[in-house]
Amino acid sequence: MSEANIEGNAGGASPARQEPHHLRRAVIIWVVLSVIGIALWLAVAPFILPRAASDLSSTDDFTFVVLTTLAVPVGMFVYVFLGYSLFAFRVKERPTEDGVPLLPRPSLQIGWLGITGGLCLFLLIWGFAAIYLETAAAASNTLVVQVTGQQWLWTFNYPQYGLSSQSQAIELPVNRPVQFVVTSEDVLHGFAIRALGVRIDANPGEVTTTPIITPTQMGNYTVYCVELCGLYHSYMWQAVNVVDNASFNSWILSQGGHL
Amino acid sequence: MTMTEAREVKRPGLFNALVPSVVSGIVLGVIGAAVAGYIVNAATQGGNLDATVAAVYTGWLLFFFVGIGAFDGIVQWGFARRELTSAEELELAGKGQGIWRYFRFTTDHKVVGIQYLATVFVLFFVGAIAAFMIRLEQSTPGAIYFTPSTYNTIVGMHGILMIAAAIIMVSGPFGNFVVPIMIGARDMAFPRLNALSYWLLFAALPIFLSTLALGGFQTGWTGYAPLAVQGLTPGMDAYCFTIIVFGISITIAAMNIITTVMVMRTKGMTWGRLPITVWGVTLSVLLGLTAFPTFIASQIMVLMDRIFQTSFFAASYGGSNWVYEHLFWFMGHPEVYVILLPAMAVAAEVSAVFSRKPLFGYRLLLGGFIGITVLSVIVWAHHLYLSGSVNALDGPFMLDTELISIPTGIIFLVLVGTLWRGRIWVTVPMLFVVGVLVNFVIGGITGIYLADIPTNEIFHGGMFVVAHFHFTLVGASVFGFFAGIYYWFPKMLGRRLDTMLGQLHFWLFEIGFLGTFLSLFYAGLLGEARWAANIPPPFAVPNTIASLFAILIAASVFTFIWNVIITLVRGERAVANEWGAKTLEWTVPTPVPLENFEHLPEVKSSPYDYGSPPVPAGDGVPATGGGVAGAPLQAHPQVES
Repeated sequence: MSEANIEGNAGGASPARQEPHHLRRAVIIWVVLSVIGIALWLAVAPFILPRAASDLSSTDDFTFVVLTTLAVPVGMFVYVFLGYSLFAFRVKERPTEDGVPLLPRPSLQIGWLGITGGLCLFLLIWGFAAIYLETAAAASNTLVVQVTGQQWLWTFNYPQYGLSSQSQAIELPVNRPVQFVVTSEDVLHGFAIRALGVRIDANPGEVTTTPIITPTQMGNYTVYCVELCGLYHSYMWQAVNVVDNASFNSWILSQGGHL
Repeated sequence: MTMTEAREVKRPGLFNALVPSVVSGIVLGVIGAAVAGYIVNAATQGGNLDATVAAVYTGWLLFFFVGIGAFDGIVQWGFARRELTSAEELELAGKGQGIWRYFRFTTDHKVVGIQYLATVFVLFFVGAIAAFMIRLEQSTPGAIYFTPSTYNTIVGMHGILMIAAAIIMVSGPFGNFVVPIMIGARDMAFPRLNALSYWLLFAALPIFLSTLALGGFQTGWTGYAPLAVQGLTPGMDAYCFTIIVFGISITIAAMNIITTVMVMRTKGMTWGRLPITVWGVTLSVLLGLTAFPTFIASQIMVLMDRIFQTSFFAASYGGSNWVYEHLFWFMGHPEVYVILLPAMAVAAEVSAVFSRKPLFGYRLLLGGFIGITVLSVIVWAHHLYLSGSVNALDGPFMLDTELISIPTGIIFLVLVGTLWRGRIWVTVPMLFVVGVLVNFVIGGITGIYLADIPTNEIFHGGMFVVAHFHFTLVGASVFGFFAGIYYWFPKMLGRRLDTMLGQLHFWLFEIGFLGTFLSLFYAGLLGEARWAANIPPPFAVPNTIASLFAILIAASVFTFIWNVIITLVRGERAVANEWGAKTLEWTVPTPVPLENFEHLPEVKSSPYDYGSPPVPAGDGVPATGGGVAGAPLQAHPQVES
C-alpha cells in the first residue's frame, strides 16, 4: 500500500506545509511490530499450551499456533493504525476545522477484499484438510470405548474385551488408535478430553463417534462434561489414564474383562 | 380533522391520572393473574402446576394491558369507526402530562425511547449483579458460595437479562428516540404499536423474575431441551414465557422501525443519505424479525412438552434434542449480529463526528453490514459441529462462517480509515469507540478459532467460547452502546454527562474487561468447561485473576451510575448541537419538542460531509449554541465524487 491508494478530494484542505509521510511510517511500525509479535508468540506458545497427549491434540494445537501467527499481523494492523491516528491526529480542543475528507479508492477496496478473502480461503482449505484427515479409515487394532453420559456420571464399556461392567474411569493403552462411541441416557452431555483433543456431544437416543485418535503420551488426564446437563454438571469429571500395554491388559483383567 | 372537531382535553384529576397508567395495569394484572391461576388450578385439580403457572402469566399479560389502557383505542375509535382527532393524538403522545407520561401507554417515540433506556439500564444492572455472583463463585474451586442449583439459575438469569438488554440496547433507546428525528419524521409509523412493544417488554420482566420464586431454572440461557422439559420446578415456565413475550415485543418494534424508515423519511433523505445508525438499526431489526420466530416456536414446543406432555424433545418418545438445538441456534447466531450491527453503526457515526471526516466509505460499510445480515442467517450450525446432527454440512457451515469475516473486515477498514488523518477529538464517546476497536479485534479473531473445525474441537463448550462472545457482545457491542449513550445523552436527557467520570468509567471498564476475559481465554485454552459452579483445581489461577479484574468492572458500573445520577440532578444543560454533528437530531432544540420539527426539514447532502469544498462562513462546525431548527446541517451543497 502507498499514499496513492487513498484518494483525497482535498480541495482547500491541501496544506502548504510539509506533511510527514504518515502512511509510510505507520506501515513500517506495523511491519516491525508484527515481526516482533510473531517472534514473541512463537517463543511463548510452547509454555502456554497445555500438554498434548494424542496425535489429534497435537494437530489441533498446531492449528492454534498457525492461526495465532496469522492473527498477529492482522490484529497489529488495526492497533497500529488506530494508535498512530490517536497519537498523530489528536486535537486537544474541540476541532475548529475538518479533517482531510478521504474516501477509499476502488483499488484499496478491492485490495482489502482480496486480502481478507485470501486469508479466508486459507482458513477454509486448512479446515477442510483437517476434516479430511479425521476421516481416516479405522486401523484393524482400533480400540472402541463406549461412553454413556447420564446425570451426572460417565460410564465406559470396552465391548472388544467383553467388559461392560460400567467402568467409571477410562484406561487407554499408549500408541494404540482409539475411537469413542458416545451416547446419553437422559439429556445432552458433552464428552471432552482436552489433552486427547476429543470432544463430542452425547445425545439421548443417538450415537455419535469421535475421530480415531492415538494417545501418544502416558499420563493421567480428565474427562469433563462440557454441555450444561443440570444440577451437578460441574461435578461430572472423571479420570482418563493413558498407560502402557501391559498395564492396560492387567487393568482389563482386573475389571473382569478377557483379552 | 378540523379544529372545531378537536375536543377539549380535560385536566386529569388523581383518578384520571392513575387509571390508564402502569399502576392500574399492575393492579388489574395481578387480579387477572390470580383469577386465571385459580380457575386453571381448580380445573386441573391442582395436578398440573405448569398449566397453573402458564395461566397466571396469561392472566397477568391480558389484564395488565387492559389496565394500562392498551385496548382503549379499540373501544373508543375502533367501534366508532373514525380517525383520531389531533388533540386525542397529542393526548396519547403525553402532551402536558409531565413526568407521568413515562408511566402511561404513551405513544411519543421520545417517551418510548427513554422508557427503553431506563429499562436497558435496569436489565444491565441486574445482569451485572448476576455476573459478579458468577465471578465470585468461580474465583475458587468448589461450589462454595452458592449451591449448584442456585448457580445455574444465576448463570441463566445473567445470560437472558444481558442478551435481552443487548438486543434492545441500541434499537430500543436510540432506535426509538433518535432514529425518527434522524430521518426527519414527527413520530414512528405506528405510535401505539411502539408503546405496545415497550410495555410488552415491561410486562415480561415480572414474569422472568418470578422464576426466583418458582425454584429457578437449570438450563442456562440457552434453555436446551430435554433438560428444559425435565426440569422439576415451574421456574422453567417463566423462562419460556419470557422469551415468547419478549419475542413478540421485539417483533412489533422491528416492524415499526422498518416501516418508519421506509415511509417516513423527510424530503431529500434518500437511502444513500441515511445516517449510518439508521442503517444499522434497520438491518438489525430486519435480522431479528427473521431470526426470532424459531426461538418463539421452540419455547412454545417446550411449554407443550411441559404442560401437555407432548414429546418434541424427549428421545424416549421419539423426540430429538437436535430439533431444539437447530431452532435455538437459527435464532442464536443471527441474534449476535442483531446486537453487533447497530453498535458498529453507532461506532461509525461517532467516529465520523469526532474525526470531522466523512465515513471512509459509506457504501463500503453499508455493503459490509448487508453482507453480515445475509450471511449470518446461514451460519447457525457452526454451534453444532460436534453435535453429530449435521456432519455432512460441517464444511458448508464452516464456509459460510468464515466468509462472514470478509464483511466484518470491512467494518475495521472503515472505522480505522475514518480516524486516519482526521481531527480526532477524544471525547468520552470517542474513547468508547477506541475500546470497540481494541476489543473487537480480539473478539473477531478468536471467532475464527471457533469457526475452524480443528480448533473448535478443542474449544467447543469451554471458557474460550465464553471469553470470545463476551469480547464481541460486551467488548464490541456494549462499548458501542456506551459510545452512543455518551454521544446522545445530552440530546435525550438534556444534560451533559460528566467528562472526568466518563473517562474513569471507560478506563475501569476497559482494563477490567480485558483482564477478566483474557484470563478466561487462557482458562479455555487449558480446557475448562462452561457453566461450572465447581471449577476444577487446574483452572483456579486464571479464574481467580478474572474475578479480581471483575472488581474493576464493578467499580466502572457504579462510576457510571453515579455519573448519571449527578448529571440528572445537577448536570450542565446541553445545547442543541452538543458535538457539532450534522445529522438532523442535532438541528432540533434540546429538549426536543413534542413533534420534533416545527417544519419538516429538507435534506440536501450526506450527513458526513465534513471537510467538503468551501461552504459559506461557518461551515463544518456550526455554532454551538441555540436551536438551529429549520436550518438543517445536512443542507450543504452536495458534492458528488
